[in-house]
Amino acid sequence: MLEEKLKEGEKVSKVYFSCWRDEFIDNRGKPIEEWAESSYNFPVNYNIDINSKAFIGWDGFALFDENVDVVRLAAEYAKQYQIYSEACGRCAPGRWGGRILYDLFDKIARGEGEKSDVEHLKEVSRTMMETSKCEIGRTVPRPLLSILEYFEEDINSLIENKKPSPHYYEDINYIAKVTAPCMDACPAHVDIPAYIEGVRDLRFDDSLQATRKTMPLAHTCGRVCPHPCEDACRRANLDEPISIMELKRIGADFEDNHGLFWLHPKEQKPLNGKKVAIIGAGPAGLTGAYYLALEGVACDIYEELPVLGGEVAVGVPEYRMPVGKYNKDIEAVASLNGVKFITGKRVTADDMRRFEKEYDAILVATGTRISKKVRAKNEREEIKGYWGAINFLDCVNLYVKYGIPVPKEIQEQQMLDKDYVDLTGKTVVCVGGGFTSMDVVRCAVRANAKKVIMLYRRDEATIIRNTTYEEYHEAVEEGVEFIFYSAVEEIITDENDRLKKLKVNRFELVPDPNGGRPQLVKIEGADFEIECDYLIPAVSQSADLSHLPEEWEIELTSWGTIKTDGKTYMSSRKGVFAAGDCEYGPMTIVNAVGQAKRAASVMSRYVQTGEVTLTDEEIMEDHLRNLKVYDKKEKITGWLPGLPRVVSEKLTVEERKDNNKEVNLGFTQEEAIAEAERCMRCYYIAMVAI
Amino acid sequence: MIKFYIDGREVTAKKGETILQVARREGIYIPTMCYLPKVKPIESCRLCVVEVEGVEGFVLSCQTPPTPDIKVKTNSAELFTHRQNIMKLYDVNHPLECGVCDKSGECDLQNKTLEFMVNSQEFTAKDQNRKIKDWNYIQYDPSLCILCEKCVHVCNEVIGDDAIEIEYGGYKSQIIPKDAPTLECTFCGECIAVCPVGALISKDFQYSANAWELRRVPAACAHCSAACHLYYEIKHASIDNPEPKIYRVKNEYEFANLCGAGRFGFDFENKAVKDENAFNNALKAFKKADTIKFNSIITNEEALILQKLKEKFGFKLINNEAKAYQKFLKKYSEFSGRTLYSADLEDIKNSDFIIIFGTMVATDNPAVRYAMTVSNRKRNSEIINFHPMEDELLKNVVTKFVRYEVGTEEGVMAMLANALLSKEDKENIDKEWFEDLDIGYLSAESNVGEEEIEDVLKRLTRKRRVRAKRSTLILGEDLYTHPRAENIARLAGLIDRFTDFDVMIIPPRTNTLGVSLICDLDEEEGEFVIGYNTEGDFVLSALGDGDLDMPALNQQEGTFTNIDKRVVPTNVALPYEGYVLNDIARALGVSDKEYTIEFTKELPKEKGFKAIDFDELPNYFTNAGQEERGYILESNKVAISRERVEEIEELPEFNGIVVYRCEPVLQFNPFTAKTHQLNFSSELVGSKQFSIAAKLKDGDEVVIKTSFGEIKRVFRIDTSLKGTIGLLETFDMGLSYFDILSDYRYQVIKIEKASGQ
Repeated sequence: MLEEKLKEGEKVSKVYFSCWRDEFIDNRGKPIEEWAESSYNFPVNYNIDINSKAFIGWDGFALFDENVDVVRLAAEYAKQYQIYSEACGRCAPGRWGGRILYDLFDKIARGEGEKSDVEHLKEVSRTMMETSKCEIGRTVPRPLLSILEYFEEDINSLIENKKPSPHYYEDINYIAKVTAPCMDACPAHVDIPAYIEGVRDLRFDDSLQATRKTMPLAHTCGRVCPHPCEDACRRANLDEPISIMELKRIGADFEDNHGLFWLHPKEQKPLNGKKVAIIGAGPAGLTGAYYLALEGVACDIYEELPVLGGEVAVGVPEYRMPVGKYNKDIEAVASLNGVKFITGKRVTADDMRRFEKEYDAILVATGTRISKKVRAKNEREEIKGYWGAINFLDCVNLYVKYGIPVPKEIQEQQMLDKDYVDLTGKTVVCVGGGFTSMDVVRCAVRANAKKVIMLYRRDEATIIRNTTYEEYHEAVEEGVEFIFYSAVEEIITDENDRLKKLKVNRFELVPDPNGGRPQLVKIEGADFEIECDYLIPAVSQSADLSHLPEEWEIELTSWGTIKTDGKTYMSSRKGVFAAGDCEYGPMTIVNAVGQAKRAASVMSRYVQTGEVTLTDEEIMEDHLRNLKVYDKKEKITGWLPGLPRVVSEKLTVEERKDNNKEVNLGFTQEEAIAEAERCMRCYYIAMVAI
Repeated sequence: MIKFYIDGREVTAKKGETILQVARREGIYIPTMCYLPKVKPIESCRLCVVEVEGVEGFVLSCQTPPTPDIKVKTNSAELFTHRQNIMKLYDVNHPLECGVCDKSGECDLQNKTLEFMVNSQEFTAKDQNRKIKDWNYIQYDPSLCILCEKCVHVCNEVIGDDAIEIEYGGYKSQIIPKDAPTLECTFCGECIAVCPVGALISKDFQYSANAWELRRVPAACAHCSAACHLYYEIKHASIDNPEPKIYRVKNEYEFANLCGAGRFGFDFENKAVKDENAFNNALKAFKKADTIKFNSIITNEEALILQKLKEKFGFKLINNEAKAYQKFLKKYSEFSGRTLYSADLEDIKNSDFIIIFGTMVATDNPAVRYAMTVSNRKRNSEIINFHPMEDELLKNVVTKFVRYEVGTEEGVMAMLANALLSKEDKENIDKEWFEDLDIGYLSAESNVGEEEIEDVLKRLTRKRRVRAKRSTLILGEDLYTHPRAENIARLAGLIDRFTDFDVMIIPPRTNTLGVSLICDLDEEEGEFVIGYNTEGDFVLSALGDGDLDMPALNQQEGTFTNIDKRVVPTNVALPYEGYVLNDIARALGVSDKEYTIEFTKELPKEKGFKAIDFDELPNYFTNAGQEERGYILESNKVAISRERVEEIEELPEFNGIVVYRCEPVLQFNPFTAKTHQLNFSSELVGSKQFSIAAKLKDGDEVVIKTSFGEIKRVFRIDTSLKGTIGLLETFDMGLSYFDILSDYRYQVIKIEKASGQ
């Protein structure tokens, strides 16, 4: 789904000349209609209004028209490398080499170049490529050398004629962006190499500040992020990916341990008088508030629950995400001027109408809090023992984390004789396969259930892919019984409308004889029954958008979520933005953070100007996401392979299964540093000429 | 252990060791510009790249641990070219001012430029106009800076000041004070020490000498009990003055540290000539005297001479500060079963859990602070600081601060022992005593909540669960002079014996540990007192204001027993023409030695000293960073005392204006105060709150009535301080300074504004 969302750009690019990875296209001297196309998704159109002239990056370059001044392009690329301080100034070859690349290319472009300059360029490039600290220093010379090679004649003629390059004095806009495969894959685009470097250099404050540039929930996403970044870690091409996610909490713990509150990524701007209403204090709402407030925009955050934090607070269990640590993330947001929380307030359509008048903009971040049905016969909410995952987890977590008892009516409905969830002697069946269902079954184990069963339509490999290996493995260790290829057909109740048993179908995967995807086919006669006390559907969730005034006619997606363009996150109604699960559908914390961060950025400008715009940085971010930064096939050189990924210690099953202690003990400092030292700092720089 | 090969030689790496570390240990050369063994690999210079057979590209040896059986090649034509290119880059626009640069002659950039035969600049880059920064004792010239980052790393990882950082910006990158307009730090000067070029230099030393003109004297720092290794660097004073002079102090910065007092406070020597008259008066005084009063800023050998004088003539030996420490250590021994405390600085560095109690350690003993910084940065250790005053300098190191009321140390120690000892141990030790402990009362009076102690235990349990290896309890000077010191020591001994905590009992002065082991000290002074660096009826003084001059510790050879229980040698940096203690001992028939250091091998074996000649004592660090200085004292078994721990006395209260005897950064005693760079005056320092309570304004001149008489001070507000306890500085009190050390460090005082205000 994510992939589909991102593939909005064109699939192929029309180029005049390009060399990128293993592809080489040279249309020089050909009429435009005969130009061969590149299969890469280059940013040919910078935005709706502007076409790009050229693109240059770590792997090569692409020219989109015949009149590009390649020598100046090279000089500007080297210059951008100088300017981007994030990644340079840290090693000798990069620091001085980059400067010399620029000076020499510029000298040639000015018309003052000499033959020896080309030789020096090659020499410096070679040393930079072999010895630089980060990939940025190793890759910047790469397209420059290609230009020297493929445009040798143009360069020689400048040198011989002592003439400036054709467009040297023209006003051309060059827009650059530093990225990395992991940063690109992270929905919040966290500056991962920087926070890992902070750990490696024992500068934990720098580490945290690097994270907080785009990710305020450092404690949280240092624990429960599904880390898509690790699937795009270049180190995997050499041996194993870096344990990126767990290194994030090192900086946050340092701040916490020494009481250094708060290490914000920058100084908060003074409040500018603008005000935003945020609906929902979950990861998206908190993130939106954090970055709006940093920009000087006051935020009132309305939260229906009595506690802050949204699903991470009431959905994610204590043993995975200790609330004390989450509260630190929340406090960091609350510490900013102008951030106000209003809890226990369910926002209605009338409130929304009022907010539209009282606030300069609204951010809807209400998540998806309606548990979907399993679509079985006789499935009715009134059945005693039929318990939606969201409500079940609310009840568990509100008590475990905040001491809030289960409301009387739910106690009655779910036959609880205590004011907390105690499942002693009960059999619980959960239908799911995602993170939420894992939380349900493991909470049920901790609530002392006699037996806990997970029913899943597909197989073990898929459940692992949908969650994590650790999560699945730990649930199995704790005694959860997984029944794969199965689905509930019918819910059978007794005379008091109490859940009695389930009729379950079995499926098998039948290969498609035509070579298509294998199909799940019901195995006739293999049905079986499970006697149980509870059925907890955790198949998916949908958004409750009843607070959106009907007359606003806010456009929705086919999934029943708020529709936006996926770039600015403004809904079809001007001034109303949406981020997180209520926009995307049930997804990850980091996805909510990434969307809300972007929305906050757009909103901080919108409240001032009334216009919906993206910064160049953000436009480039989206272009690079389309192009894809990570190359799974790339061969890694200059690193010793075979240093294993460090795995943090976990509580043993005996230590953890009857309590809510955090299961993951985290890295020891030595482990964290050793792991950080494996990071190859794969920064890249990309640039577009427009 | 991982076996692999470097240049064909089979070597083995220990767990966590990198290729470069193994190479250095084995004496195999790999060039580096940014490598500093005592911090994490910096990785900025890239010179240490090596080839590994079968691996494409070069591997960075400083941060890469070897994998089994790899074949590493440290040199090849290609490696040489790249290293040469890197040096060419380093040299681009580096100012050609070697002729006047302080670093010339000992400059890594010069050395490597020559080594890689860079004799011309082939590349150019536009030059930059960069301003030289004046940072108090330190000067920073960004145009000389090669951005190796050693200074930044040492400041954060070892010292803990975290006062400087890199302002990133490629070619324009430079070092800047962190979050401050100018450098605000403890001025340890480690940044100067580690700087490979002339970018960070001592302003005092600048333009005063060429590196190759200076003679190096290896010595031990005389200012505190860390007795850090250092070199005094000496040359004649000027063209018309051939007398030697100390120009600066340097240290083995790759492995060892030095604080600012050691680095900048070096010229405390006492210039004297042989004054026969004074010498004869001294001999007469010795004949008349029944007491020798002295302090612990002396060598082991001098302490032995004093002990011999006592043995021969029956002098009472008075050194109240060492006596208090001796008694504390003795009680501790009787309960721990060992003569010496168990922990050293290396143990602190490797600790995962540290409790530090009763010391303002960043100024009392900076070496302990540095060791704690290392443990926190590298091991994320829990560091719990028990003290009445929070120390701002420890903020980024300490993980929990537990404040107690002044005077309640005995109660706090009882609560700690009660918490750290297991139920079983308590039953074996003295069931009744522990049962009778009124924790409620102790908690109420000391203001240390029971929940705070529980939290400490929780943290300890958590640390132990994650493979914590070492726990250390560090005790400081506040405890030794406490009226209930001995009972505190008993409890400390029990913790050492029964728990997995190692204990360090910080010796409060340079050689307090040595003196307390060597001398049989008395409590009561007699009628006629010879003062050796203290006041007395006849005064021998290295401060130059006594009846007979004595050499200062930069003019003596001998040994100190330092905090690591190590007997470390020090040497003569500057000549001394006057009489020394051994001359008196000879004249009195106590010594038959020509030189004081002949006593080194006679230091008492039963106390753990060894019969080694002074000249045989090693004094260096190995390539792998192993400290080879002197030797470590033997810690012997002691019979466990049958004595019971005494009942906890009623906890005292301190009402009124309370001050704490505590020296500021860079100062220890009158010897540091005497040096030309650290020649400043003692003040009374307090928080804003203190100033309100004491009705004082910043800059007020006050007269303070203390237990040791009336003293004058200027009052200063320090906004980083909290609470209502003032800091009373005493380092510039001359000889009388040593008299006040026997008092408990806190006292209630009366303050009056000086007349005329």
